[in-house]
Order: sequence, then structure tokens, then C-alpha cells
Amino acid sequence: MLPSYASSSSAKMMPRHQAGSYSNGYPRAKSEAYSISPHRFHSRTSPPALRRRRQLIFRLAIIVAVGVFFTCFIWPGASLLPVLSLGLLSSSEDFQLETVRYYDLSNVKGTARGWEREERILLCAPLRDAESHLRMFFSHLHNFTYPHHLIDLAFLVSDSKDNTLSLLSELLEELQADPDPKQPYGEISIIEKDFGQKVNQDVESRHGFAAQASRRKLMAQARNWLLSAALRPYHSWVYWRDVDVETAPTTILEDLMRHNKDVIVPNVWRPLPDWLGGEQPYDLNSWQESETALALADTLDEDAVIVEGYAEYATWRPHLAYLRDPYGDPDMEMDIDGVGGVSILAKAKVFRAGVHFPAFSFQKHAETEGFGKMAKRMKFSVVGLPHYTIWHLYEPSVDDIRHMEEMEAERVVREREEKERAERAEKIKNQFADPNSQWEKDKADIQNEAIKAKANEEKVAKEKAAARKPADGDAKQAVAGPEKPPEKAQEGGQKGKKQDSKAQ
Amino acid sequence: MGSVRSLRRSNPVTVIVGVVLCVVIMVFLFGPSSADIATSQFRRANSASNPLSPPTLPFRKSNDKANGKRIPPPVVHYQMNNVTSTSDPEGNRETVLILTPLARFYQEYWDNLLKLTYPHELITLAFIIPKNREGNAATTALQEQITKTQEGAEKKRFASIIIERQDFDPALVTQTEAERHKMENQKSRRAAMSRARNSLLFTTLGPTTSWVLWLDADIIETPPNLIQDLASHNKPIIVPNCFQRYWDPAAKERQERPYDFNSWQDSEAAQDLAKQMGPDDILLEGYADMATYRTLMAYMADDAGDIHTEVPLDGVGGTALLVKADVHRDGAMFPPFAFYHLIETEGFAKMAKRLGWTATGLPNYKVYHYNE
Repeated sequence: MLPSYASSSSAKMMPRHQAGSYSNGYPRAKSEAYSISPHRFHSRTSPPALRRRRQLIFRLAIIVAVGVFFTCFIWPGASLLPVLSLGLLSSSEDFQLETVRYYDLSNVKGTARGWEREERILLCAPLRDAESHLRMFFSHLHNFTYPHHLIDLAFLVSDSKDNTLSLLSELLEELQADPDPKQPYGEISIIEKDFGQKVNQDVESRHGFAAQASRRKLMAQARNWLLSAALRPYHSWVYWRDVDVETAPTTILEDLMRHNKDVIVPNVWRPLPDWLGGEQPYDLNSWQESETALALADTLDEDAVIVEGYAEYATWRPHLAYLRDPYGDPDMEMDIDGVGGVSILAKAKVFRAGVHFPAFSFQKHAETEGFGKMAKRMKFSVVGLPHYTIWHLYEPSVDDIRHMEEMEAERVVREREEKERAERAEKIKNQFADPNSQWEKDKADIQNEAIKAKANEEKVAKEKAAARKPADGDAKQAVAGPEKPPEKAQEGGQKGKKQDSKAQ
Repeated sequence: MGSVRSLRRSNPVTVIVGVVLCVVIMVFLFGPSSADIATSQFRRANSASNPLSPPTLPFRKSNDKANGKRIPPPVVHYQMNNVTSTSDPEGNRETVLILTPLARFYQEYWDNLLKLTYPHELITLAFIIPKNREGNAATTALQEQITKTQEGAEKKRFASIIIERQDFDPALVTQTEAERHKMENQKSRRAAMSRARNSLLFTTLGPTTSWVLWLDADIIETPPNLIQDLASHNKPIIVPNCFQRYWDPAAKERQERPYDFNSWQDSEAAQDLAKQMGPDDILLEGYADMATYRTLMAYMADDAGDIHTEVPLDGVGGTALLVKADVHRDGAMFPPFAFYHLIETEGFAKMAKRLGWTATGLPNYKVYHYNE
């Protein structure tokens, strides 16, 4: 390109120089004649110019190459793109970053029909050594009828020694990759934070009285960390759910939401083996305040925590759990002061106002009970549904396990006895095996004799034959008899056991 | 004629060399330095992929729906064991969340904010503004400044900015200083303020914040190293002394006077007063008919003293207040009710104490309040 431009311009210059030769002070007289003017500019012939430019271009290229090389050498991390594009490209990338967000909190106050207004729910689940319950929990997640994309999941995994974390992420990845567009959830956060808890999570130490206060303060701390890290300005509702819930209605979110209360909890029971009575109230933390308990609270020191369900603190409070009627109206509401944490639906504005799970003794209560107390203190409505029940997983306590072991041992002993008895019966049967056939034989003989004897009197013989048939059947039953008694003995034993356990 | 001649004479190669030189010079003058590149890379690396992410992180705009289908957000892990708050926040790249309940916008406040020397890519700003006419005006003014800053020099841009509008009515219609400080109005005003603070705090804290700096909208002058200076003490709760500059007509010069009386050490007299009160009554500071005899940090200032002098406190003011995020995460909030007869920031100090965190004051380290 360059050389051709240069040559064409020099060519155009020629006539102008001729025309303008006046300006040099020379006459135009011999303008027609061929002459070589010494004053006229003679452009150099193109080959040397090109050569020179080529050299220059070459040098330039070397300089640029060296420059680029050094740039790369000095800032190995820096990309060359922004330098070469004068920062235009990099700034266009920055425009892709959204740094300013605007939220109007009056749009997320929570209403009775949230699913129609696309209200978002934050589902919080604190986890510790919960690997064994996760699959069950995810089956519940799959079945929720509330639109999944409106639910954000937040998990806090703390101080777990088992595989909780890896299993959780695996199941969540699976859930988000589900081909069914209705399955994947909204934002999913897994928060890892260890509090260095010394309290064991096994059933016995979890429910021992002495460990309760400090255990519940630590639980409260975990809940607060989870909530403060996961609550966003776009949430209308917060749902707390334990992973060890075994059975719950799939419509539970809508069912609780319909009541349009600030804080609402269902009744929590658990199934039991038959020998323990079939079922039992589980969550005793949902209760109404009583005068006795208030009086008791006044006598305790500042840091004491009243916990329910222990003989040490007789509070005489009406518990949500004990008011359950299996045939009662599931929509019936009851005002409560303390709440249990198995399944709490609360409006996000409750948490925004500052209500949390006190990790200290707040009015002599901590964690979820303190949460209920604090919500009440800030004049929020706190209700429970006595006849709307969800079922907590039954984990046998140490006593139960011991009892079950005893029962198992008894069963083994009983089975062995039965077996022995059956064997003995068999032996007897075998040793004295022939009486039956002998009987038959004798019977036949007698019959034959009788037939012979009374062949003459046919009428009488017929009557006798008719009477003999039922006698036959009786004889057979009598033979089968000896095998039955052991079964009956077993049934009797079980019944006896049942009564024993009830008495206990 | 001369210029024409020089143009004519100039070789195209010379022009090209000139242009290249110009470009190189421009790049060196205005182009991003290596530090800026690192900053913008940090910004990009710290951004989230969808708008549901914690608001303290910027997010990359992307097509939320590919051919009409919703793309499910990814599973995100947050390592909260690694979120530290140390005495060297800048060196450890710790993020600071500056929270401001905003009723009126002051340009001086914003200018002071821009002057903070703490790396802006580690700072997230969050505001909560009441939903009334005054609030709307403040929002407009704020958004104007935000746009200017966030589209300006990359070094000055903040990591993320959140604006929230309150979901409840402000306690008082007027916000004039005289009306605001009437004793009977104090309780409802400060209860509403507590709710605003809590709403702002618990929706923006997120899983990555190390420090929370409470800075009132009428703080118009602070040392530019405010964050580094306060954090260097490595205290869970630390509060500088809040003063106000005013024109003294008698002395004919600018002077300063103590402004915030909510930072104090408790007294027996105050405890006795509290014992006689009903469960919903609150103790207030700075009112003649409620003599508490508390030791106020406002009067501890010594102009000749060391700015790093520390004093333990039982109540704190919220005009400027640096808190480790862990304190808030444990549940320390601003009680909108009488908590041990204390409310708002003073109640916060008490609640933090119940959770095992103590408050510290810096009587000689001053920040300045707007003078109406």
C-alpha cells in the first residue's frame, strides 16, 4: 500500500511543478520545450526509498517485539489485551460487573399466598454428623410442592466427623442438575464453620440435663451464623427444618404460610415401636408461658437456662405436643411463647427486625425457646398448630436399645426353647410312631369284625357306619393336637411382655 | 506554506512512528498500571455468577434464561473458617462492610467516604433509607453520586453497593435536631433506628465479611486511615470519639464540642436508677432529669493525648463504630426494646457483653458530625 501511494503522489506532483514554475522567477517562454530544470524537485526513484522504509519497518517490528517480550516478562500475570486495545476492552468487561443493587423491603413482608406473589423462602438447615439422615431429607426436598426455584437452601456444616459434607454436595449437585425443570432450587449455599464443640451428638449426651444449657447455646450460635450469612434482602420467609424429620406433608410450606403469622410451628411427634406405645410427643419446646415458670425464672441466676422436659424444672406449662388430637382440626391455632426448632416458618421481617436465637440466657431461655420469647418481646405473633403433626425420626435411646437387646435375647431364648420343644415332640412322635397305624389297623379289624358280626342285621350296621365317620375326624384332630400348644405359649408370652412394658 | 511543505515532506513512516509513540505514551500515562490490573482481576475473581448471590459481592451480568429455560444457580461453598478479622486487615485482604442508615444525604459524607485509604475493592457500602419524601430525595442524590463513582476511576470504585428501602414507617416525620432529641421522642425514634440497623445488618452481612463499620450519614469528617487505625487495635467492638465543629461567635473562630454521649462506662447511680424502672423503661444519656453519673467518653478527650489511648466501655454510640463481623454473627444486634433498660447501640454493647464480647473506646481519636 505505502509504496504505491508514494509513487502516485509524486506522479501527480509533476504537472503542478511545471505550472508553478513561475513562482521560481523563471519565464514560461520555453515551456513547450523539453528541459531539465535544476530547480525542480526530483523525487528519488522508488527502489531505494522502499528499501529504506523496509529497513525502518523492520526495525520498528523488532522494537515492538522486544517491547512485547519485556512486557510479558515484567508482568507475567497481566494480559496484553487491555494494553493493546487501549483499555477499551477491559472497561467493557467491567460494565458486565453489576455492583449496585436496589431492594425495597416493603415488597418482601410476606403474605398468606406467597406462592402466587413469587415470594422467596430461605430454607435453613444446620447440620452436624447428619450423613445418615441426608437421603431422607432430600426425598422431602424433591417432594415440596412450593415452587422450588423460589426456595433458597442454606446449610451450615459444623464440626462433622462423618461424610456429611461430601454427601451433601453430591446430593445438591444432583438436585440442581435434575432434568425436570421443576426440581432445581434457587441459590444454594453450603457454609463450613467449626465452632469446636465438645458436646457429643449422640442421643444420650444430647438429651442429658447437664449438657442442655451449653449445648443449646452452641446450637443457637450455629443457627445465628447460618442465618446472618444466608439471609438476603429479597427473602420474604425463612423456614427452619431439621434433617431428621421422617414424615411431613409435602404441602407444609403452603399450609403454614396460609395462616399468615409471623412465627408458626406444627406439632412434632415421633413414632415408637409397639412395645413403647406406638407414638409419643417429641418436641417439648413449643409451650405457653405459665405463672409457675415465670416465678421459677425469677429465682434463677442471670445465666441459667430453663429447659423443658426435665424433672429438674417443673414448669407446668401447657405444651403444644400434649394437646394433640389425631382427629382435631389441623388449622386450629394456639398462641405460644417458646418454640421448638424442628420446623419453624417465620416471616423474614422477624429476623430483619433483629429477632435471633439467643446464644445467651434471654429471659432464662436460649436458642429456639429464646427465639420465641424475643419474637414475643418485639410484639410478633407466635403460634403453634396442635393438630397439624409432623413426625420426627425415632432414634432409640440407650435405655431403649438396652431394652431392645433384652427383648432380642429373650426372643432368642424363647425360640430355642420352642425349637427344643418341637424337637422333643418330634422325637416322641418318632419313637412312639406306630400307635396311629396300630390304631387304624385295630380299628379296621374291629370294624371288619363288627361288619362280619352284624352283616346279618343290615339296618343296624348302616346306622353304626354313619356314627363311626365323625369319630374318625375326632381321632385325626387328636393326633394333630400336640403341635399347637407352643404357638399359643408364644403369643401368651408376648402379651405378657407388652403388659410389662406398659407397666414400666 | 511551511506547514504544507513539512506535511508533504514527512514520510508516512515517520507518521506511523509518531502515532505508535503517542499510543505508547498514552498507554503509559492513562493505561491501567499493574496494580490496577491486579485490582480489576480481584474484582472479577470475587464476583458471583447470579443476582441471588450475597450482595456484598458484585455479580456478572449474564442471560439468566437461555432460550426461555431457567438455569439453576450453582452450589456455592463458603469457607467461613477462613474469614478472619485481624489487626492487619489490608495485608490479609479482609473485607469491610460499611453500613449507613440514611435519612438525609450530605455531599460531605460521600466525599469523606471516597477519601478513605482502605482499598476500595475490599469495601462494600450498604444504605437503608426510609420510604418517605425525604428518603426519596436522599435516594436520588445518593444514586447520582454512586453512578459517578462506580463509572469513574477504577481505583475509587467500591466492590459493591446496596441500597435498601425500609419496610416500616419512620418513627418521626421531622428529623430536625431539636425535635429529634426530645426525651419522650427518643425511645420510639431509637427503636425505629434499631430496626433499620438490624434490617440492614442481617440482610447484607453475608458469608465473606470480616468487619462491619457503622458510619452515620452525618459523619462528614474522619481521618482517611479510619478503618486501618481502628482495626489495628484488634478489638471486637471499637468506637472513636464523635465531635462536632461549630462557629463560635464569641471567640470568632471554629471550635469543636463533644457530640455523641452514648459511649460511656457504667455507674452505680445508673444501676440503681435501672432497678427502680419498669421493664419497658429505658435509661437515656444527656438529659438533666435523669442523672446517671456515668463516665462519658465524650469528656475524656485530651488534645495532647495519644490518639491510640484505649478505654473500656459499657455503652457505645453508633455514629462511627467498628465491629468484628463475628460479634454480629453470634447474634449481637441493636435491641429495639428495653434490654437491661438499654436500647439501640447501648443495648448492643450490653448484648455483646452477654455473648462474651467487650467494647473499647478511643477518646482521643476523633470523627466529626455535621452541624445543622
